[in-house]
Parts: sequence; structure tokens; C-alpha cells
Amino acid sequence: MIKHLFKLIWNKKKQNFLLMAEMLVSFIVMFAVFTLVVYYYQNYKKPMGFAYEDVWVVNYTQPEGEMKADSVVQFHEVLRQSLLSMPQVKGVSFTNSNVPFSMSTHNSMLKTDKTQSVGDFHQAEASYAAVLELPVLQGRWFNAADRAGKLKAVVLSQAMKEKLFGNGDAIGAELTINQGPDKVKVVGVAGDMKEKGDYHSIDPAYYQLMDTSDHRWVNEILLKIAPNTDAAFEGKLYKLLAGTFKSSNVEIEHLSKKRVSKNNITLVPMLILLVVAGFLIINVALGLFGVLWYNINKRKGEIGLRRAIGASAKSISAQLVGEALMLSTLSLLVGTFFAVQFPLLHVFDLPASVYIIALVLAIIFIYVLVLLCALYPGSRAAAIYPAVALHEE
Amino acid sequence: MLKNYFKIAIAVLRRRKFFTFISLFGISLTLTILIVLTSFLDHLLSSSYPDVNRDRELYVNVISLQSSKEFYTSNGPVSFHFIDQYLSKLKTPAKLAFSTIFIPSNAYVNNKKVAINISCTNDQFWEVLQFDFLEGRPYTKQQITNAEKVAVISADTKRNYFGDVPSVVGKYIEADNVQYRVIGVVKSVPVTNLFCYADMYLPYTLSKADLHSKDLRGTFGAILLANSKSDIPKIKAEYAAMVSKLVSNDKAFDRIYSFPDNYLTVFTRMAFGQGRKEGTGTFYTILGLVAFLFMLLPTLNLVNVNTSRIMERSSEIGVRKSFGASSKTLVYQFIVENMILTFIGGAISVILSLIILYFFNNSNLIANAHLSLNLTVLTYSMLACLFFGLLSGVYPAWRMSRMHVVAALKAQ
Repeated sequence: MIKHLFKLIWNKKKQNFLLMAEMLVSFIVMFAVFTLVVYYYQNYKKPMGFAYEDVWVVNYTQPEGEMKADSVVQFHEVLRQSLLSMPQVKGVSFTNSNVPFSMSTHNSMLKTDKTQSVGDFHQAEASYAAVLELPVLQGRWFNAADRAGKLKAVVLSQAMKEKLFGNGDAIGAELTINQGPDKVKVVGVAGDMKEKGDYHSIDPAYYQLMDTSDHRWVNEILLKIAPNTDAAFEGKLYKLLAGTFKSSNVEIEHLSKKRVSKNNITLVPMLILLVVAGFLIINVALGLFGVLWYNINKRKGEIGLRRAIGASAKSISAQLVGEALMLSTLSLLVGTFFAVQFPLLHVFDLPASVYIIALVLAIIFIYVLVLLCALYPGSRAAAIYPAVALHEE
Repeated sequence: MLKNYFKIAIAVLRRRKFFTFISLFGISLTLTILIVLTSFLDHLLSSSYPDVNRDRELYVNVISLQSSKEFYTSNGPVSFHFIDQYLSKLKTPAKLAFSTIFIPSNAYVNNKKVAINISCTNDQFWEVLQFDFLEGRPYTKQQITNAEKVAVISADTKRNYFGDVPSVVGKYIEADNVQYRVIGVVKSVPVTNLFCYADMYLPYTLSKADLHSKDLRGTFGAILLANSKSDIPKIKAEYAAMVSKLVSNDKAFDRIYSFPDNYLTVFTRMAFGQGRKEGTGTFYTILGLVAFLFMLLPTLNLVNVNTSRIMERSSEIGVRKSFGASSKTLVYQFIVENMILTFIGGAISVILSLIILYFFNNSNLIANAHLSLNLTVLTYSMLACLFFGLLSGVYPAWRMSRMHVVAALKAQ
């Protein structure tokens, strides 16, 4: 049966070639779309790993000019105390510009003796984990004693720990950052933070305790605020901050709002892509339907003859649908050949599972599409009366 | 002759309505998407309010300091020092506008937060960029020198901060804990117009940037306005000569790159040219490739439908051939027919695009952005139609013209 169908297609390879090309291109489009959708969905399913509700971000620029490191620290301490004295402020943490859902990233390379991994580098304080409710899985978060230690203290994220140590123990290990030569010491492993948006992957990250000189480069403050705090308080807070940073522009943002706008950066292009792909597929479906229908009309004689010598209506429509599916199988084989190159060659650094699920979904999609387009013409063909069909010739 | 083809084309279109629908649906949707994207690109790149002279403007936004030994680079906006000491000494440009990149700030009024993006500018900024002043006027050179706390605000900021009041000139607006006297209100600028977007404009002497720093890198961008288009190469040459003499005050950076670019090149240089080459060629290649790939699927579809439809007309072809029509004539006829179909689809897509743009402009998806179908967009859409029609018509026509007379006549 399959061999016969193949022969029928082969005999009309010229006409079928374009049809196959169309299916192939549709398959590639759908593969690309499904890869993105599956990738985003897999990321979306993972928990955020930290609390962003009621966290505000204060954005400012350090006063230019030479302020001594010690006086910056003192200046920050005074500000911290006056912020914490407000009843609505539950926690304060100074940090660098790569706060959650921000556009900026800082990367560094972490090395053990054997392996290395690039990760997001966050400057953190002892209060950082509490403000973002970041869970500590092993070891501990920074404490006051870490500042006095010989080596700088770092906390790894779970993903970073797995990359560097696998299932082994990371606590107490010494790592080199970038070219070195200074080493840092791991004091704890924190949970993964999906801080680049709901649809973004979890990247390896690490947190380094901010020391006295780092305070010069700080330009963000994370504030944990009591629930249901209104804009009146925000205005008051703003007055305090703008009064403190006289030579800087100050901005207060809410992490929950930053999350929405960060997600939109992913979602809006995705939606546009889906709409465009949707139109393309409707277009292809209509075209396939039309061409199959037309082809069947042209083969009335052949179908009539088969009916006359005893083929059932069912087997006629099965043949025509089978032919269409055979055609799509051929183009899917070619398409799959190209598609499997993506996981094999690691083209876009996505997990192989994403490609495989996308591949399966795209194959199912094309089969269903072709089946739907072939069913009606097939049933029309089955309804042909042999006498009428043969009479036409 | 063409009139005949036109009549035949219409007759064929009306024969099989379903097929006509498929073809027109595909053509018009494909072209609609292309037209909407083109008009968006046009909105981004061509002159628009308030930046109306883009064809004789050069933008200076990036200076790149590189170290040949240690691969350090420092890229970013230029400093006031660079503008004051070097840019303003250039002789060819007619005018020099400069402003800081917009910096976010907040204002609080009636227990409501108003986000305000602040940009600090010089006085010629208001001459190079043609803002519509709804009330008041821009600040003068004298006011800038005196560092008067005056502000020009956008219509959106006026509404958000003051509410629906007829006039706000002379009133005070507070941002960053400083009271600024409003002296002008301008029509709002969409954020897509990167180099002149802001909610509040202040004299640059009020900028919180350190104006005395001798660094070349800073927070300013500049626009050079030429007297005429022909002056642009002269400005570029003078600029290059000026940059070649620059010395960074940080000795580690021994290579300095900076170019006055037209609007598109500002972005392509950053994205594709590593800050040195223009990168426009790469940009157009990518754009063309994307458009072609996007059109590939609808084209294949149309070719398939067209091929089927031609076979339907085999008797007509047979008759014409047997009366001596050459293959060339038939190919020509069929391509013209396909063009007619494409242009009908094109007309539908223009209407569809107008509807989409109308909804886009009213949706405020990008505040104050107004997309429109102008002559440029229409020209490009017509070109797309032509390309699409040729692409999808040539193969079926060639197939048809090769039919044997006998086979064609017998088919029916």
C-alpha cells in the first residue's frame, strides 16, 4: 500500500515538488514557533524563587567627585538607619544596577581547579536575602563576620553550584574570579532566582559580599515595604531620598511593575510572531485544501474507474488522504533532518528537550493540518459516481 | 491588449470564487503585514515630529575609547567637555544641539506618582528640533547661562501633573525635590524618537552631570545640523580630522573612535559595525533576507494555487497556441494577469493596513507614536506587490507555455 502510494507520488513528482516544498517551509516555520513556545513555557513553569511583591527599587547616581570610601559607607549607614526608622520599611539592601527585572547584567567567570562557569554577578549585603526572601539551601548567607575574613565571601546560586560542583559539596571551597589572582570563599548556596522575567531561563549566578570600597559604585537600593503602602508614603520616602542625594536624579520603581514591563519585552514580539505564523498557516491550509481539491477533480476518470471495478468509497478516500499524508511524510523527513541539527550542533544553547518536544509538536501539527485539508476533498472524491465520472472522458 | 488581459483576468477571477478567495486572502494578508512593518520602520527612521530635518542632520552619540594593548573598551555618550571644547569648534555645521540622554525621575502630586524623564539641553536644541509649543516658549541662552530653574514640559506631563487646566506657564513643577518654573509646554514626543524624547527639558547648566570633568565619555548626545545636504561630507571630514587629534586623559585608551552618523547608522554602527564600520549594508541584507523568507511561504502557496488554475485553462491555451500565439505572448499574458491579481490584493491590503494602523494609533501601545501610510511606505508596498506578483507568476506561466497544443486541447 505504502509502496503504491509512493509510486503514485513519484509519477507526478514535478507537480508534487512544489507542494512538498510548501509543507517543508511550513514545517520549519512551525518548528521555530514551537521551539520558542516550548522554551518560554518551560521557563514559565519554574518558580520565581524570590518575592518581588512589595519590593521597591531606588535608582540614583553616586555623587561624582572624590568621596572617600569610608565616608560613603558612613553616608549609606546613616541613610539605612533613617530608612529603617520608617515603620513601613521592613528591610534595606544596597546593591548594584542589576536588580531583578532590570535591563543590566554583570557577568563574571568563576573557576574551580577543574571547571569554570560564567555567571551573573550580584553585589549583595547581609540584608539582601531577607529583602528578596531568597532561600538559603546550604550553608548560610553573609553575616557581619565575613567582612573580617581573609577571603571575600560568596554565595552561589543552586544552578551555579551544580555547574561547578555537580552533586558535591561547595561550602568552604575556594574559587578564582575571572583572571584572579584573588580568591573567594563559598559560604552558602542560595535558591535559583528567575530575576530576568517569567519567561527567561535560570542562569547560574553568584552573590558577593559588598566591601567598603564597593559602596562607591552602588546605585540602587532595594526596599522591602509593608503590604498596602500607598503613594503618599512613597512621596514622603522620595522627599527623604532626594534630600539625601542632592546631586542626583532619584527614581523609585516597584519590582512588580518592572516585572510586567520586563515580561512584555518577551511577550510582545512572541505575540506578533504567533499572529504572523497563524496567518501564514491559515494561508497554507487554504492553499493545500484548494490544490488537493483541484487535483481530485482532475482525477475523476481514474477514481471512476477504480469505483467501477469495485473499490469502496472508503478505500478511495483512504487512498487520497494517504497520498497527501505520504507527501507530508516525505517533506517532514527532509525537515526533520534539518531540525535535528539544532540539538546536535547546539545552535542556540537551548536544552535538547526543547527541540525534541518542538519537533514532535511540529510533526503532529503538520500531519493534522494536512489531514484536515485532505479529508473533505477525499470524501468528495469518494462520493463520485463511477458512471458520471467515466462518462466525462 | 492590456485591456483584453484585464478583462480575461477579471473573468477568470469570477469563475472559481473559492480559488480567487484563497489567492486574494494570501496576497492581501502577506502584503498587509509587510506594509504595517514598513510603516513602523518608516516611523522609526524617517524624519518625524519634532526631528524634521533628519536628511541634513548628523548625530553624535557614541565615543569609543579603546586600548590597543589590553582590549579595554569604553563606549558611550560623550561628555560636555567634548562638546564644549571640540564639537562646538567645528566650522561647517550650521547649528549644534545637544542634550543629556533622558534620566528617569519621579514627581509626586496629590498622592499620585508621576514618572518624569528629564533631558537637559542647550538653546539651539529648540532651533534644530521643531517642537510645537502649545504654550509658552523655550529657554534662552541667557537663562541657561544664569542656570535659571526653568522647565519646558510635554503635554502629557502637563496633564499628569497639573490635570486639565488651560495654562500652566509660570506654575511650578517639583521633581528631584527642586521647584522648576514652567515656561513652555510642547506636544509630546513618542519614546521611539530616542534623541529628543523626554517629559521635561531643562537648561543643561542644571544637569547633575559634572560639567567640569575632562573625560571624553559622559552623558550627552549631540545633533549637528548642516546648511544643506551637500555639506554633510564636509562635516564628516572635519569631524574625522578633529577626532584624529583627540587625546584621552586616561592614557590607557590610545585609540579613539567617534563618528557623526545619520539616524539609521547610529544604530547599525553599534549593532553590526563594532562601533567602527557603518554596518548599514549588513542591516539591509538582514532586512531583505527576513522579508524574502517571510514571503517565501505565501509565494509557494500562490504558485501551487496558480499552477492548478492554469491547468484548468488548458483548452483556452490550446486554442490560442493552435492559432499561432507564441509561448512568450502567453507567458506575458499570464504574468500580467497575475500582476492584476496581486495589485487587487495590494489594494485590499492597503485598506487592511489603514484599519490596523488606525487601531494601533488609538491603542496607545507606544504613547504618542503615530504610524501612517505615506508616499515612501506606499512606494515600498507597491514594490513588494510587484516582486510578489513576479515571484509567484513566473513559474506557473512557464509551465503553462510549455504545454503541447495537442495535450492542451485534449485535456478537457
